[in-house]
Parts: sequence; C-alpha cells; structure tokens
Amino acid sequence: MEFLDRDYFKLAVVFYGLSAIYSVFVWRKGFREDNRITYILMALAFVFHTTALVKRGFSLEQCPVNNIYEAMTFISWTMVTAYMVIGAFQRLRFLGAFAAPFLFAIGVFALMPALDVRSTTPHFVKGWVSLHASLILLAYGTFGLSSIAGLMYLTQEHDLKFHKLRAVLSRMPSVERLERVTNRALLIGFVLLTVGLGLVPMIVRENPSLQVKGDPKVAWSIFVWLLYLALLGWRWRFSAGGRAIAWGAIGSFCFVMLTFWGFTLLSPVHN
Amino acid sequence: MQIVVIGLNHHTSPVTVRERFAFADDAIPAALELMKARGLVEEGVILSTCNRVEIYAVSNRPAAELQQFLVESRSYTEAINGEIFVHQEPASLEHLYKVACGLDSMVLGETEILGQLKKSYDLALQHKHTGARLNKAFQNAFNVAKKIRTETNIQRGSVSVGSVAVELAEKIFNDLSNRNVMVIGAGDTSEKTARSLLSRGARSIIVANRSFDKAQTLAADLGGRAVTFETWENEFTQVDIVISSTSAPHYILDRAKLVPLMKLRRNRPLLLIDIAVPRDIDPEVNTLDEVYLFNIDDLQQMAEGYLKQRREEIAKCEEIIRQRARALLEGLRRASTAIEPAAFRPAHA
Repeated sequence: MEFLDRDYFKLAVVFYGLSAIYSVFVWRKGFREDNRITYILMALAFVFHTTALVKRGFSLEQCPVNNIYEAMTFISWTMVTAYMVIGAFQRLRFLGAFAAPFLFAIGVFALMPALDVRSTTPHFVKGWVSLHASLILLAYGTFGLSSIAGLMYLTQEHDLKFHKLRAVLSRMPSVERLERVTNRALLIGFVLLTVGLGLVPMIVRENPSLQVKGDPKVAWSIFVWLLYLALLGWRWRFSAGGRAIAWGAIGSFCFVMLTFWGFTLLSPVHN
Repeated sequence: MQIVVIGLNHHTSPVTVRERFAFADDAIPAALELMKARGLVEEGVILSTCNRVEIYAVSNRPAAELQQFLVESRSYTEAINGEIFVHQEPASLEHLYKVACGLDSMVLGETEILGQLKKSYDLALQHKHTGARLNKAFQNAFNVAKKIRTETNIQRGSVSVGSVAVELAEKIFNDLSNRNVMVIGAGDTSEKTARSLLSRGARSIIVANRSFDKAQTLAADLGGRAVTFETWENEFTQVDIVISSTSAPHYILDRAKLVPLMKLRRNRPLLLIDIAVPRDIDPEVNTLDEVYLFNIDDLQQMAEGYLKQRREEIAKCEEIIRQRARALLEGLRRASTAIEPAAFRPAHA
C-alpha cells in the first residue's frame, strides 16, 4: 500500500499531538527538566511533514502552496523548521512545548477534506507566483514562531512578577532572550512578507488580466503588512516594552490565522 | 580489610571541639604516614574542614585504636562523649557519598565540600597514602556526586538571599557581563548581594549613600564608584540592577518617579531588589512593564523554597547512594582475597 503525501502529513500531526500531550507534563513540572523528548517528537514530525511536502511538490512539479491545505501545511512546516534550528540550543528548546499544541491544531484543521481541493490545473501559475506564495507563507510561519516566543515571554514574565519559585527553578531562557527572539522573528517575518508582497507588480505584469485593485485578499495582505509595520515601529520608535510586543505578536498572528482563509475564499484573484 | 570512617562533624560536636581536631594541610601527610607506620591503616585520607574532621581509611584495627590516635595526635585531653563517630562498611561508603553530594553539609546540597574532598584525596594520592580500595571508593564518590547533581534537584537553586538575587538576575537578563549595578544605602546583605552579582560577571557597581564617605569606602571595596545620594537618579539610565537598603522612613522610588526614568532607559529590563525595612521602593512599580521588584521577604521565601525542594530530594539521593555503595562493595569483594569485618569493633559497641 503506497503512502500518499496526506498520509505522511497525518503521521506528522500524530507526532505533533504526542508532543502537545507531553508538553502538558513539561508545563506541570515547571519546565525543570531538559526538553529532549519534545525535540525528538518534533523532529520525527518534521521528517514526516517534510516528506509530505516534498511528495506533494513533486506530484505538482512546483512549490505546494496552491490551496488552503497546502498553505497551512507550508506555514506549519516553516514553524517546525525554525524550531529545529532554534531548539538545537538547549535553553530555547522549550519553544517546542509551546509550539506543539499550535502545530497540532493547525494540522488537524488543515486535514479537513474540503480544504484540499485539487484541480486538474494548478490554481496558481508557476514562477513569480510560487515564489510570492512561498515567501508570504514563510513570513506567516515566522510570525507564528514570534507569537510562540511571545507566549513563552509572557509565561516567564508572569512567574517573575508574581515571585513564583518556578521562575528561577525552570530551565526557560531569560525574559530578555525571549524578547529578543520575539523581536527578531517579527523582523524576519516582516522582511519576508515585504519581499513576497513586493513581487505582486511582477505577477501583474506577467498576467495583465489579474484585477488586484479592490481584491479583498490583496487589501487584507496590505492591512497585515501595516499591522506588523506598526508593531515593529511601536517597538523601535516608541520603545514598547516586552509585554506589549509579546501581546502584539500573539494578537497579530491570531488575527492572521483566523482571517486568512476567509479572505482567500473571498478573493477572485486567489481562487 | 574494610573501609572505615572515623571523625567528628557539625552533627556530633560543637565548633569548640571540632577546632581542636582540625588538621592543617601541611600536617596531613605526616599524620597519614604515622598511621601507616604504626600499622593502624593501610590506606588513608584525612578531610579537615570548618565543619568536619574525618579520616577515611582501609583498616582492620579496632576503632578504639584509631580514635586513640586521633585524640593523641591532636593533644585532646578532655573526655570524649560521643563527639567522635565511627562507621564501617557499608555505612562508611554511604557516609563518604553523602559528604561528596553535600547531603551531610550544614547547608543541604552545598557544592563546596566536593572540592574540599577532592583536594584531600589528591593530597593523600600524591603522598601515596591511598591504594586500590580507597581509590575506587573516592572515584566512585565523585561519580555519584556528579550523577546526583544531574539527576536530582539537591543542588539546584540558591539558599542565600544574595545568590537568589543573582539567579533572578540571570532569569531576567541574557548576560550579566554588561550589566551595571547600583547599591543605594549600605548594609551587609546589600553588600553580599552586590558581591554575588560581581562574581557572576556584572560589569560595574555604583554606590550611593547619604554619607558620601561610606559610599566611597564601599565602592572602593567593590571596585566601583561612589555618587552622592542626591544624584543617584542621574545614574539610572545606565543601571540595570538596583539594590536598595536605606534607612529612609518613606519610599525613595515610586511609580511616578520611575515611569519617566524607564522612558529614558528605553524600557530596558530593570531589576529592583529592596532589602530595606521599611521598604524603600513602592510595590506598585512591579506592575510596570520591564520592571521586576523583589523585597527581602520574596528573596527569603525563594531561598526557603529551594531548601524545601532540596529536602524533598533527599530520599531519592539516598536510594542512589545505597545502590552505588552496594555495587562498589560487591565489586571490591569480588576483587579482594579476604575480608574480616569481625576484626573491626567500634569503640563504643
């Protein structure tokens, strides 16, 4: 029996789920133990997830970002890839305990049958469009990581403010480091989003029939870009504190996740 | 032949008795040489610290003879009323392991004793006073200490106010090496806390005190600089950690004062340690973003929390120690040709 790409992704989601369950134990233990098990579970999920993406990509002969299922799997793959790199540093490994539930939820949602609509011809044209879609989804994945780092920051900050012994007993990184990870992920995501959106004029030049003016998804994308620009400006120009930026990162990413599909479905250009 | 331990420590005797038995480092090799020459021991290590004087030996002599040697070598003429303890296998090995892990220390889980034990063992080894049994026992003790350190929480956390403050600083700041510390006022605890931060790499100390002379003295002692009490706020933009212990009857720092100062600092994290009673810093400031305030009660509660956690780990550590002692003794018994435990009779049996 041949394993389809969706089967590999289902296996990845199973391991995200196991990691999420284990994360509960890690949380209850106050992040005192080394988080190797979460990293291993996430690594196994990453292997299956990458296999799923590669199989889908080869079957389409292009980057697999053509429908909502593929977009969700790509975003979540970006997040877990970044975690594999960051989690190699022991102190930041606890990011996995926060990321796993997110990734499990995204995976379960992505697996809904109605989201993986495959047509005989790809919805998007090759070339600039593939690059545009993959850069933007990479950006969203990075924003996802920034929101996870923001959540870790808020957890650690809360424990310190309320003088919990757990704040010093845990092996979580310092609040300053978490703030730095959050800010850097926001910046990297913003750069990726800017470059991705910057390709739109080239796409329009190649496809003069595309009507981007007034398109809901285009307007939504510009709004998201302005949202993250404002967040970064708030940090760098007005020296907003770590707590404010953490909430900003989490709130912005939640907004993106909750509205992404709706605006995609409303968009004639993207359908 | 078996491994025995004889000595006195803070559990069995007061410091007035312990100090009479203390060995200077340069006297230890000669004492061991003498014990061997008299046939009292085949191998020996003497551990002499402020809280214990213990002789670990491989011997088949009665305990009374070893005790007699200890008393005579220290010229102790008073009666012994249980101050000197004796352990034979397996208790002697278990005791060694407990000492190495800090389980027998005055401050449960402290790590200084391991260094002292290693030093004592090295000294005996250098002078060829150890052999196969003690070498194995001590090497095993060091391994057990490492295992317990990594697998339990017996050595996690700090039990002094100064060390807790440093741990908090490390949970707030990524790196202490480029942090500036300000001490406002004076006092033992604030000085110790400042020293702890310096020992962990804090960059500089600024001292402010109503008496500029006192500020200068403390600053010189800590390798920092002094400022007048009226101008401490001017230094705030450069400071990351503030230790406050003035005798002011009112708050010297409150929310209204701190908000504009935080803006000047571009909202970089700030750790405030308020050791004063009555408090120097308004608790309200803890609600500000990037500000972390701890008073003396908070630090002491954390230190007690650590101690409680360490106590909870004792049973786990003792089980590891029992297992390792049993395993070593099994190994030694297989390797040795004869053991006569009956020949060793504790003095007080």
